[in-house]
Amino acid sequence: MELSRRTLLAGSFAAVAAAATGCSSSMDAGAGKKNTTGNLALWCWPGGLGKSVVDDTVAHFPDQHIKYTEIGGDFKQKLLTTINGGTGIPDVTGIKGEDIASLLPQAERFVDLKSVGADSVLGDYLEWKVKQATTLDGKVIGLPIDIGPTALFYREDVFAKAGLPSDPAKVGAQLKTWEDLLAAGLELRKANPKAPIVADATDMFGTIVNQGTERYIDKDNKFIGDQDHIRRAWDLAVKAITTKVEGRTPGGTPDWNAGLDQGTVPTVTGAAWVALDIKAACKTSIGKWRVAPTPGGPANFGGSFLTITKSAADPAAAFEVIKYLLSPDNQAKAFADAQIFPATPAAYDKPQLKAADPFFGGQATIDVFGPAAKNIPIAYEAPLDAAVAAPYTAALKSVQAGSKSSEVAWQQAVSQAKQIGKRQGVQ
Amino acid sequence: MTLTATAPPRSTGTPAPGRPRKSIWSYWRFYLALSPFYVLFAVFGLYPVASTILLAFQKWDGLGPRQMVGLQNFRFLIEDSTFWLSLWNTLVLFVMSTAPTLTIALVLAVMLNSAIRFKGVYRIAYFIPNITSLVAAAIFFAAVFSTNFGLINSGLRALGLPTEDWLGQPWGIKIAISTMIVWQWTGYNTIIYLAGLQAIPTEQYEAAKVDGAGPFRTFFSITLPQLRPVVLFTVIISTIGGLQTFTEPQVMVGETGGADQSGLTTVLYFYNTAFRANDYGYAGAIAVSIFLLVLLFTAINWRLFRGRSTE
Repeated sequence: MELSRRTLLAGSFAAVAAAATGCSSSMDAGAGKKNTTGNLALWCWPGGLGKSVVDDTVAHFPDQHIKYTEIGGDFKQKLLTTINGGTGIPDVTGIKGEDIASLLPQAERFVDLKSVGADSVLGDYLEWKVKQATTLDGKVIGLPIDIGPTALFYREDVFAKAGLPSDPAKVGAQLKTWEDLLAAGLELRKANPKAPIVADATDMFGTIVNQGTERYIDKDNKFIGDQDHIRRAWDLAVKAITTKVEGRTPGGTPDWNAGLDQGTVPTVTGAAWVALDIKAACKTSIGKWRVAPTPGGPANFGGSFLTITKSAADPAAAFEVIKYLLSPDNQAKAFADAQIFPATPAAYDKPQLKAADPFFGGQATIDVFGPAAKNIPIAYEAPLDAAVAAPYTAALKSVQAGSKSSEVAWQQAVSQAKQIGKRQGVQ
Repeated sequence: MTLTATAPPRSTGTPAPGRPRKSIWSYWRFYLALSPFYVLFAVFGLYPVASTILLAFQKWDGLGPRQMVGLQNFRFLIEDSTFWLSLWNTLVLFVMSTAPTLTIALVLAVMLNSAIRFKGVYRIAYFIPNITSLVAAAIFFAAVFSTNFGLINSGLRALGLPTEDWLGQPWGIKIAISTMIVWQWTGYNTIIYLAGLQAIPTEQYEAAKVDGAGPFRTFFSITLPQLRPVVLFTVIISTIGGLQTFTEPQVMVGETGGADQSGLTTVLYFYNTAFRANDYGYAGAIAVSIFLLVLLFTAINWRLFRGRSTE
């Protein structure tokens, strides 16, 4: 059966023409159209909000007819597709912390919460977290659901056996900087060569960058990923590799999961929610984990927002709903529900957070996470930040594998990052 | 393949004398009966394809207005060393997975074709990997190849051999990924070859036997030439599949592609560009180049394997 060249060409031209007209007509349909169903549609991903809190909120606003939907899979992609489609857009939707920066340029798709009275409550939330949802011209498009302050999770038994301090206060005092941690890693390696103190150097690199006040692109849309603050993080990660105190075991891999319980991953530098992963992986090491402050200062990983879309039937009413849903009291309840770490410091004094955790040997982890949450540095995260950061991780993996020297890999990462930036108009 | 299967048979030359050619509208019932496929294809096949081609000439962040940029995306593509690396990875993985898959499949098919017991059981057993969830299988293979607690390293340790950091080394990543592809696709191709083998008339084998041909001579002079169209089919299907490898590396070594980005295939790079970097226009350009690559390879295969029989 022959497919003639002419029919093929004609067919594809017709299709291209159809696509061109199709997309131009649907392009601006998203903004402006209001939901008229009479319900308040609320979208989030599974585990994004505390279940008891959602149930309580639905009951608390009977007139709003809140319809809560959990959207599984690639949440951001499904949200974007729906917004582009122009119908069925939720009134209120969650947005993940890693996506918020890339959505700020599209702030006109969302309600500026300041225009519906957010000023009265914004002070309840951590300033740096609200900043992440604030555009450069001062619009606030999201109210924080939670945050991800980091800490050093470590195995008390492994540390003690190697002659390292094992009490959280002493660990915090001795491992103040990354240099301290790497030095302790050498000691640990001597005593127990199977337990590298850093699980993975690329994860460590990401944490150090998150501890800084500057990232890859500055507010003037200029590339600064080749400067000292990134280079310092790079050099520390490379030092972990060359001194052989890292285990090339990225978080989430089978080896990492097994190692947590078996003591070959003796520390994890991660956000509060990583505790869930560690607890899920450990059966024999319950009670042997402890939490200490992150070497080099606190950082943040993740933490999401609730936003009101321009399609919301009644933005003011929707704001009342999210204000209630995310109040300090309810944030404390959400923590008890599913370890959703509150973005409101007032919640840190509630009994749900003060409770001693037997998994961590009876430690009240809020004593570490609370101060960390309040001291997280404010850094400007450009919309392109994640895209420009990717080559650094990839290049560090080459250094880990020993196939490239640190200098060659660094040059490669910088030039790739610059190219990705250039494509999107970064100087 | 779809085109071959669904295009109506072409009439040979001029219409038969005495019967006036009917207007196309008199066949409306037939077209109506055919239309579900074409309508679905137009909506879910043709439109996205055309839209992607258009996107390749635009700049778009996924939400804001689209902006025509002409050939700029393709200019970036030519300068983009990561893109060329991903093409290289894709081709190496394609060769490393397709050659063993098809060779093993052919051997298995010939063995299954001879009179053995429990034929049905073997056929089902070989086919099962093909219908296993790709993600589940990839997680399983990542566990098998993992460094400290993986099955392969445990085996090596038991034999007193040095262990390897499979998923931490550039070549180890390629071996792990292609092993999984071979595991998944060998059975499928075996079944196709088996069907082809059963269509070869037994008289030819009997004649060969009478002429005193041994099993190897029979295989290379009768079985292989008779299987040529089937081989063409499997090679093309493997090419199309192999050049679009995505889930295996994504699950096994993550979005960066692992050490030296050794697992970064072109489709994975496309995915990262579109859905992680929100650079949909550039991703469209990558998608178009994958399409052109598949087209090129299919044409080469067609030329190579169609062979002399049609000339």
